[in-house]
Amino acid sequence: MPQVLNTREANLFRTVIRYYEEKQYKRGLKAAEQILKKNPKHGDTMSMKALIMNAQGKSEEAFALAKEALTIDMRSHICWHVYGILYRTNKNFDEAIKAYKFALKLEPGSQQIQRDLAILQIQMRDYQGYVQSRFVMLKARPQLRQNWTALAIAYHLEGNLQQAENILSTYEKSVSAAPLKTDFENSEAVLYKNSIIAEQGDIERALEHLELDGKNSLDRLAAMELRARYLAQLGKNPEAAKAYRALLDRNPDHPDYYKGLVDALSISESDEAALKTVYDEYAAKYPRCDAARRLPLDFLTGDGFRTQAKSYLTLMFNKGVPSTFANLKHLYSDSFKRDAMPLVVDEYLKDLKSGNTDGKVQANGDSSKGEGAALYFLAQHYNYHMGRDLTKAMEYVDQAVKLDSSNVEFQMTKARIFKHQGDMEKASAAMDQARLLDTRDRYINSKAAKYQLRNNENEKALTTLGLFTRAETVDGPLADLIDMQCIWFLTEDGEAWQRRGDYGMALKRYHTIYNIFDIWQEDQFDFHSFSLRKGQIRAYIDMVRWEDQLREHPFYFQAALDAVNLYLLMHDKPQGSNGVNGVDGKTVNGDDAAAEKKKAAKKAKKEAQKAEREAAGKSAKQDPNKATALKTKEEDVKKDDDPNGLKLAATADPLGDAMKFLGPLLQFSPKNIEGQLAGFDVYMRRKKYLLALRCLNAALSLDKDHPRVKEQVVEFQKAVEPVLQSLAPKVQDVFKSEFIGFARS
Amino acid sequence: MDIRLLRPSDIPLIQHANLENLPENYFLKYYLYHALSWPQLSYVAVDVSRPAKTPYDYPKIVGYVLAKMEEEPSDGVQHGHITSLSVMRTHRRLGIAEKLMRQSQQAMVETFGAHYVSLHVRVSNQAAIHLYRDTLGFKNEKTEAKYYADAEDAYCMKLDLRFIRDQIKEARDAELAEQAGGEKKEDGKETEEAKNGEKTKNGSSGNDEDVDEGAAVGDVGRDPAKGRKKAVAAAAEKEVKVKVGRALGVGELVERVERRHS
Repeated sequence: MPQVLNTREANLFRTVIRYYEEKQYKRGLKAAEQILKKNPKHGDTMSMKALIMNAQGKSEEAFALAKEALTIDMRSHICWHVYGILYRTNKNFDEAIKAYKFALKLEPGSQQIQRDLAILQIQMRDYQGYVQSRFVMLKARPQLRQNWTALAIAYHLEGNLQQAENILSTYEKSVSAAPLKTDFENSEAVLYKNSIIAEQGDIERALEHLELDGKNSLDRLAAMELRARYLAQLGKNPEAAKAYRALLDRNPDHPDYYKGLVDALSISESDEAALKTVYDEYAAKYPRCDAARRLPLDFLTGDGFRTQAKSYLTLMFNKGVPSTFANLKHLYSDSFKRDAMPLVVDEYLKDLKSGNTDGKVQANGDSSKGEGAALYFLAQHYNYHMGRDLTKAMEYVDQAVKLDSSNVEFQMTKARIFKHQGDMEKASAAMDQARLLDTRDRYINSKAAKYQLRNNENEKALTTLGLFTRAETVDGPLADLIDMQCIWFLTEDGEAWQRRGDYGMALKRYHTIYNIFDIWQEDQFDFHSFSLRKGQIRAYIDMVRWEDQLREHPFYFQAALDAVNLYLLMHDKPQGSNGVNGVDGKTVNGDDAAAEKKKAAKKAKKEAQKAEREAAGKSAKQDPNKATALKTKEEDVKKDDDPNGLKLAATADPLGDAMKFLGPLLQFSPKNIEGQLAGFDVYMRRKKYLLALRCLNAALSLDKDHPRVKEQVVEFQKAVEPVLQSLAPKVQDVFKSEFIGFARS
Repeated sequence: MDIRLLRPSDIPLIQHANLENLPENYFLKYYLYHALSWPQLSYVAVDVSRPAKTPYDYPKIVGYVLAKMEEEPSDGVQHGHITSLSVMRTHRRLGIAEKLMRQSQQAMVETFGAHYVSLHVRVSNQAAIHLYRDTLGFKNEKTEAKYYADAEDAYCMKLDLRFIRDQIKEARDAELAEQAGGEKKEDGKETEEAKNGEKTKNGSSGNDEDVDEGAAVGDVGRDPAKGRKKAVAAAAEKEVKVKVGRALGVGELVERVERRHS
């Protein structure tokens, strides 16, 4: 039975809660101890003590204490609530939900527990649970608009659009006074409702609603864009054209608006003259607009293209716009345009030499304008894979450098050409030279570091980057780059370590990236409640949908694929136990250094093992169940006990470890053939033939002529046929129907 | 090049652009905090001419403006603030920074009724100062000593947004006049007043030469040689004021707001 506190101690208990809320942990602990002295078995106090300890970072002890409190007082909602909070701070949301539900059962009226539970449910995408929670919360406080909106969001995300709209409408009807024009929450709620109507496919009603209720939307741009889109969808072309014109007047550098206008004007794609008239109008109206001048290059052909290209390039060269090539290279998929470009540039150069330009080049010694710009363009042209001629590229870039040896862009391009020639050493040196031309620019600094990494100069690259990372970070540039979630560096650094044969360091980087994605996923947590208060509902919905696809990002894909492929390599060619310098350490460090490194690695490993044993012993004593895993994970975050990835590289089960990366890879990027190929390789080695077959089928449907797919078909046949008879009959059937089917085709 | 509103899905590559370009960096959550608090105010410039490499490519961000409304303005006047503005070195001289800024300023007034917009800029960043002062019309309010983590001073600059309010009013009046003047004009032609109004908005700001963010716009790095000394200085006085970004940490920002409301 729970102990009952006397008045003095009950008051003291309240101060414990207050101290916790005010983050005065020491005082809170002291007060809790005072209660526990007289009432050593008071579950609620023990729980509060655990909560405070958790906030102080002692999560292991906190868990043990909270659990003890629970065994003493199973009927206390406080004990369960605290238990839930501990799980929540340890990011074990599933267990947290269970604990909260217990707490809520014991204290059904608690708004705080209900709110916390709701947030966890939406974080875990338990839509049904979320709808239920938000329903209860709405019933408790229907006067708050937020609660109505929240329930609508719950239905919306669950896929029940009709019900979502109903909830929003019910609230609107319940309010008698017309909302103020400056009421942002209302303005946004109206647009949110409008988006739900449109999502149901009823565009006519959406337009009507927008023009009536959304007339005074404070988000003008959204209202204008939605209206233009609806008008176009409904075929109201003259009005749609007008709406797109209004948008173009706001922002003439947004290509979608031109497309909307052209469609609304019913101009056919082949009517180049009519199309061009539209763009010319805006080019004349907005002298600083780029899109209206550049976009016609996409649809113009023949002489029309050449003329437009000449005038556009002339303008860009005279201005010295460094991105000119980058902004046009998509045209190169058209071979006519690709071939026309250098001719136009040559013409520009000739005009320049003969003094016969219509443009007024006032280079004034600025080499990025005029001739320099044209030479720079040509160098990039011949360096680009769709028009590559590296000898010519080098000729042009050398001419440009001769014109001005202090120009960063010229020097940078030279480095790129070296890279394409396959000489990473020269490329790295050249990029560093470019960096030295402007040491205050972080862009060129990053590029130089990237090239150093490509040339396997990890240490040098870190020094380079260290010129711009925060000087006050105690643990140096690497800690800052990790802290700031610098994915590009971690990926390149990992790949370079892998090439150097240091699998531990490589794995370390890939795992760090994996963890950053975990953080990014957790980042949404606070916004489930925050966005409701801010009233920015559409942005919130956007965020939820993006987070659902978070790991399809190429940043994740690249690191995960690297990791999977490295684990495959480690499985196929097991190295020495520490996995360091297994390939050829001496190419990088020399023999002595390699030996020394090995020794250091051994020592580090021993220490790591010792620490692990200690940790294991400690946790075994205190907490026998699965919270252990969480605790060790948290310790890792606080103090890295494996900074060089030695433990990672020493894995006995590389294929098992690869699964962590592979799962999301296949789930979120199924259309990327590289992922399917890697998946096949892993599953084959794990003898999971059905899963391997699934990857193979996916790869076949993506690109059946891919050389590696063909190899894998053969490999699969060879591996499976001999063992087919030993498999369960059902599995045999699947293989026969699925595999033999494509083997013949 | 495409100038458009920032979306949450852009954020990893915005963060990437910032890491590549500027010394002041933020956690992803800090960008998220902007994108979810004032989604109307932040814009990106996207490189639309990159051929896709995978079926899951995200648009490459070559410039962005991250903006907010001041939540508790000390002067009690609603105003916006530019948290960060950056254009890739490779994409300068197209007027991208100016275009991003103008879009953001417009929305500050329309959506949140901002009276002015403020920002901080390194005193050494001539290109950015040129953009703010000469192209966009900002005025220098004061200098904040040792504002940045490396102890460099910042100019605190302001731009009165009344001109946008006036334009909005003009456009609205013109619209009303058009409606009153009969519903005859359905062919997409605008009234003369509306056209004029827009011209001032998007047209040249009396500066014949195109806006040129020649050198870095936003914050530039430090000279490595000088940096050494400064780094030591910064380390010596540990509590350097860093108001923007991560010193606050988004976790705290969000929690603070939460507490205030609960």
